[in-house]
Amino acid sequence: MSMAVVTWQRLRPVGRILAVLIPVLVALGLVTVGAVILAGPIAVGFFADNLPLGRFIAATAAIVVLTIPTAFVVIYMELKVIARMNLRIGPDRVGPFGTALSVVHGLKFLSKEDFTPTGVDVQVFTLAPSVVFVGTIMTMIVVPFAPGLFGLDLNVGVLYLFAMSGLTVVGLLMGGWASFNKYSLLGGLRSAAQMVSYEIPLTLSLVGVVLLAGTMSLNHLVLAQSGSFLDWFIWKQPLAFLIFLIAGTAEANRTPFDLTEADSEIVAGFATEYSGMRFGFFFFAEYVNVFVMSALIVTFFLGGWTAPFAWPFAVSISGFDALGLGVGLLIAVPLVPIVGTLILAAPFWLSSKITTLQALVIGFILFNVLAVGLLLGYAFVSLDWVAGLFWFFAKSYAFVFLFIWMRGTLPRVRIDQLMGFAWKWLLPAALINIFVTAAAITLVSK
Amino acid sequence: MTAHTPAGPHPSLDDPSVRIEDILREGIVEAVPVGRTERQAEFYTLRDGEMLLNMGPQHPSTHGVLRVVLKIDGERVVDIDPVLGYLHRGVEKLCENADYHQTICYMDPLEYISSLFCEWAPVMAFEKLLDVRVPRRAEYIRVIATELNRIASHVLTMGFFALDLGGLTPVLYGFIERDEIMEMLASLTGQKLLFNYMRIGGVNGDLNHDFMSRLGDWMSHAAKQVEANAGLLNENEILVRRARGLGVLDADTCLRMAVTGPNIRASGLPFDVRRSHPYSIFPELDFDIPTRNEGDCLARYLLRVDEVKQSLRIIDQCLHQMPDGPVMAKLPRLVRPRPGRAFAAVEGPRGMYAAYVISDGTDQPFRMRIHDPSFVHLQLVALLTPGNLVADTMAIMASLDPVMGGVDK
Amino acid sequence: MDRALRARLERRFGERLAGGVRQRHDETEIRVTAADVADTLRALHDEPELDFRMLADLAGVDTGTHMQVVYHLWSATTGDWLRVVADGLDREAPRAPSVTFLWKGAEWMEREAYDMFGIVFEGNRDLRRIYLPDEFRSFPLRKDFHLPDDASRSPGLGVRPMEETLSPRDATPATNLRRSAGS
Repeated sequence: MSMAVVTWQRLRPVGRILAVLIPVLVALGLVTVGAVILAGPIAVGFFADNLPLGRFIAATAAIVVLTIPTAFVVIYMELKVIARMNLRIGPDRVGPFGTALSVVHGLKFLSKEDFTPTGVDVQVFTLAPSVVFVGTIMTMIVVPFAPGLFGLDLNVGVLYLFAMSGLTVVGLLMGGWASFNKYSLLGGLRSAAQMVSYEIPLTLSLVGVVLLAGTMSLNHLVLAQSGSFLDWFIWKQPLAFLIFLIAGTAEANRTPFDLTEADSEIVAGFATEYSGMRFGFFFFAEYVNVFVMSALIVTFFLGGWTAPFAWPFAVSISGFDALGLGVGLLIAVPLVPIVGTLILAAPFWLSSKITTLQALVIGFILFNVLAVGLLLGYAFVSLDWVAGLFWFFAKSYAFVFLFIWMRGTLPRVRIDQLMGFAWKWLLPAALINIFVTAAAITLVSK
Repeated sequence: MTAHTPAGPHPSLDDPSVRIEDILREGIVEAVPVGRTERQAEFYTLRDGEMLLNMGPQHPSTHGVLRVVLKIDGERVVDIDPVLGYLHRGVEKLCENADYHQTICYMDPLEYISSLFCEWAPVMAFEKLLDVRVPRRAEYIRVIATELNRIASHVLTMGFFALDLGGLTPVLYGFIERDEIMEMLASLTGQKLLFNYMRIGGVNGDLNHDFMSRLGDWMSHAAKQVEANAGLLNENEILVRRARGLGVLDADTCLRMAVTGPNIRASGLPFDVRRSHPYSIFPELDFDIPTRNEGDCLARYLLRVDEVKQSLRIIDQCLHQMPDGPVMAKLPRLVRPRPGRAFAAVEGPRGMYAAYVISDGTDQPFRMRIHDPSFVHLQLVALLTPGNLVADTMAIMASLDPVMGGVDK
Repeated sequence: MDRALRARLERRFGERLAGGVRQRHDETEIRVTAADVADTLRALHDEPELDFRMLADLAGVDTGTHMQVVYHLWSATTGDWLRVVADGLDREAPRAPSVTFLWKGAEWMEREAYDMFGIVFEGNRDLRRIYLPDEFRSFPLRKDFHLPDDASRSPGLGVRPMEETLSPRDATPATNLRRSAGS
């Protein structure tokens, strides 16, 4: 025992940390392995019996995990695109073309002091960011990303979506009220008024779409638009599309309706007293919401994951049997990259201005690009969910770009103009749309 | 008007032993200043449902360190009390301890966005006291430099007007023009913001080739460029709906509030110091005084676009009529003007910028008084905003264009 | 230098002007006592042949022996600036009438003159300090308020304290707290 004490005293700080850490990690590893061995079969058996539940849990976990990279992408896009519109450069230094900036933002939020101001209602204050974030994530569960790739195919998907958006409003109100700050209060009240007002035209504009498709399930809505781009609901419901776009901008608190966070008036609105990761939650939730709104527009009006036109050539690539090569596979795996690199590097190497090393590097990069491209192309053509994902994300990010474009261009509307517009223009327009759609359906079906 | 300790057991929010929880429990509502004036009493008496909101000295949109206390009823502003002094540097007192030449450096940071005007008015006053005649070439150079500064200032104002309303992009487009002008003036004066270029009896240095070539290049596309930048916003439905009819000033109110500059010209009165009380070479130059009749925020914004075009005209004429000669009159290092008083006013981009100098015969001014237009115009915020929404406070303030350096001196 | 303006002013205000009308370059100056200045300015503002409707500046001056309030006016009828000097204010208790009844925009200019000199404008609804904190006890632009670098001019006097800064324990609050009824 005394020998242990003497050894401990002779260790440097690094050694002390390691001396504690390594046994702990080993112990944890053993415990995990034991748990897997003992409990594994039971868990696997459970999920095998309840496959949909397992699928749901896996899908939800995937969605929760993927919201953060989505937010990262949207944040980077916003900074870069608005900068280009402002004739600036935007993020440039962190990572290639500044792409790692969002990661740095996330780390920055995590590293800030986590404080609770005096006088706040602590429980409400703490829960508000979570409520907002959870509300946003839960809307993603019903969105169909690709044929077969969705969290849950609720047959009341549309209704569920707007219930979850309402949850977000509650979260903003909680944040605004609990902050013990007049600016936050103003921001929270403005946001509550705005979001509640725009929920109604948002929801009503979808009634036309639901009438046309005959179902509230988002997956079936997308399937109802399959075919070519002429089958998309945007042609049959143009007014509803416009209303949904405008109301969606207001729901996502984007310019020109971003008074809740109008930083030239009320500093940061409901989020004034938040700092660190709490603010990070609000921040990420907003950008995820932008993506969700775009995804919803795409789902309801632009055919979701359906391609604009059917692939004209009937392609059937029989998956070639890689294992049939036997030893040939062992030789091919190292050989193909090397040969590919050399072939692609050859034209650069022959040009006099580039050294051999540079040519090899360029060749390697090009080979990687080509290989990945070919792989993706094969997946695109042969697997329908890859194609679906591609089209879904392309269309969604086109609308994300539209949202960002609006932010860079338009000034803000005032609260009374905003409310007036929602109640006096969008709501009647949505109602008219419903009546016209219903009448048209009745006439046509006759 | 001194503060006194209030008698009684009222706890003070400044007292560190008082905890906020105690105050909340006792239900104290608002803090009211002691020894109140009539206006303060009126302002700090809150009716049911009203609340005091402090747009503090640190705020993204108050054009500098300005504190505005708003009394709001929901979203509507009932009353406004601007609180100044956060940038007060005691310039007038400092000038009493400096030579006449040294005071020019103190004058620059007052309206720092258009600092050549801040130098020009005092320098004109000194020249009146010394009975110095400024060479004609120096006058022409002064006019060119100051009109460039006016354009740069207006372009900035237009951009910030849009920024305060939420449009992120126009301010950066405006900065392109301002940047080019700053580069030009840097090659002429050596500085980009606080120029220190005017001297008693002339300017610091003659025109140089770099300045002339930059100026020539810029003038060839300046008019179209400014028009295009303004065109980003002129027809924007959202901006027009927010700015039209907001903060309407009529001519009588302008005179009553001692308003000058684009604010009074947007209300229909063509008062411009360059025409109404001409100085320097302006009697020889041919330019119009643009006016608009509506007097709302949009008119004040659009008027500045018109003024930029007139400034370009003036610069063009000066370049063509530029005489040769010295650029500074000969004066001793330490000037001792006759005992007396002099008042000089120039038309700055924000209004009439004036200097009143009292000399007692020594080499330091006895009293150096600066009249800054932004100081006077800030009273308009208290006049125009009540009845509008919180968001309109920013729009009105941006259209009146205060610069806190001049307001606080 | 507008001779016609001089004639008009002498005809209208002759007996009030101390020292007559002085003119130099493009400025015309008249001096009146503090008691007369309100009427004088009202006459200058209202009468159509004078029509000095624009107030260009309002400043306080400490001459060392007494204080003055200096008004600069502009009229479309003349090419000169008119300077009206309200002379002879007592240095220890300067009082002058406020011109906010003519020009509401003079309110802040008078506040500044009060803040810097201590001149009390009677009739100004809002006579409180504008630049300096409310607890500040001195009036900086007075000639007996010395900046530290004055010591370099007259080393015998040394550096005099400008303003005693209040330590937090002594700081009297400028605000009072009003309790809400009942809650």
